[in-house]
Amino acid sequence: MVKIKKSDELAIATNKLVLQNEEKEKRAAELIIANKELAFQNEEKEKRAAELIIANKELLFQNEEKEKRAAELIIANKELLFQNEEKEKRAAELIIANKELAFQNEEKEKRAGELIIANKELLAFNYVSSHDLQEPLRKIQTFVTIILDKENQNLSDNGKYNFQRIQQAAGRMQQLIEDLLAFSRISTSEHKFEKTDLNIIIDEVKTELKDTIEEKNAVIEATELCTANIIFFQFRQLMYNMISNALKFSNPGVSPHIIIQSKIVKGDKLNNSKLSPEKNYCHIMVKDNGIGFEPHFSQRIFEVFQKLHGKEEYAGTGIGLAIVKKIVDNHNGIISATSELKNGAVFDIYIPVN
Amino acid sequence: MSSKHLKILLCDDDSDDCYFFSEALDTLPNSTQLTTVHNGEQLMQLLTKETNELPDVLFLDLNMPRKNGFECLLELKLNETLKQLPVIIFSTSFEQEVVNQLHKNGAQYYIRKPTEFSQLQKLIQLALNLMEQENISQPTRENFVLTMENNREN
Repeated sequence: MVKIKKSDELAIATNKLVLQNEEKEKRAAELIIANKELAFQNEEKEKRAAELIIANKELLFQNEEKEKRAAELIIANKELLFQNEEKEKRAAELIIANKELAFQNEEKEKRAGELIIANKELLAFNYVSSHDLQEPLRKIQTFVTIILDKENQNLSDNGKYNFQRIQQAAGRMQQLIEDLLAFSRISTSEHKFEKTDLNIIIDEVKTELKDTIEEKNAVIEATELCTANIIFFQFRQLMYNMISNALKFSNPGVSPHIIIQSKIVKGDKLNNSKLSPEKNYCHIMVKDNGIGFEPHFSQRIFEVFQKLHGKEEYAGTGIGLAIVKKIVDNHNGIISATSELKNGAVFDIYIPVN
Repeated sequence: MSSKHLKILLCDDDSDDCYFFSEALDTLPNSTQLTTVHNGEQLMQLLTKETNELPDVLFLDLNMPRKNGFECLLELKLNETLKQLPVIIFSTSFEQEVVNQLHKNGAQYYIRKPTEFSQLQKLIQLALNLMEQENISQPTRENFVLTMENNREN
């Protein structure tokens, strides 16, 4: 029985060994698969490692770039900071400048307000003073006429003569007051511009001066006249003053010949620094053949109460041309006079068309 | 011609102008009786006293203190009895707007106070001649102002 047991034991042991060997071979096969797997994974890991190295290089490069950008940004920020400081300085200066302008505007408005009040007062003063001045003047004149009428028999020739001189002086004073009033009215009245045919104005003035024109056998030529944008009653006053002057200052024994012309001219054709080259002007010319004046008086004649002759030679207060100039000023124009003694005078007026 | 006796009322605050008027009136051939008052209040008091006869014509100054000629003219024309009284405005000013307004308000004539006495005589004479006519109606605006120039025919 023991021998069977040993061969059985061998068989069992051999079976066990075979089983174990089978198991070991299974294990070996599994190990081989596992090793292949590991080897594959290792390859993969090395690929990953290589990729990581490239990625790291890339990151490093980008970091360098970012640091360059950061450095540039720091410079740019410094620049912005500087410009902001400059802007704040400018803003502060502007605030000061604006305060200054606001202050000046207030001052200007105060001045404008004061001027308006002063003008109103001047107008009232002129009106009242001319009325109040005229009243005692009128009394003087009337009383003198009463005395000359009633006391005619009782007065010596000398006495009569003296009273006549009083009359003449009073008459001059009255004229002076009327002229002053007319002058101040020109600047304080309303300015309404209308397109007007200048012929109409000349005709009205000729009618007003009819008697003097006939008496002096005067000829007034006004053939080429255009339309102008003017203040009617002021311009009529202007033409009246100019034509009446031309009649008054005629050469003794020579019939006055007055020529009035007008045409539209562009500023650049006229050699005058006071005229704008782009604007169109209505050029009105008044020419006479009277006594004229010396060229060096060509500006003074436009001044208020300036005369070139004594009151014995020519009547008048010397305000006629001052009024003319003021009217031209009101029309934003200019006036100039050219003359030679005994050779008449030419007056040139330039008024903007618009 | 001048046969009618005219009762004239003058209202003017200026004593010299009153003197001129009465002196001039004295030299005229017309038969007249002159009463003078010196301000608007006196004028209205005199005219509204019922016992007084109305004058034939009133010469009225414009520039008077307290109540001026304008105001008097308006008051007169609003009064039933007094509105028939012809009013001749007698003044120094000569602004067209003023004269126009006076014509609108019913004044009969307007005379600007002259500087020569002889002119004053002629103008008053002219006014009186016009007042003597029957059927006095208000003239047109062209004939409202009495001057020597536009009345040479009279």
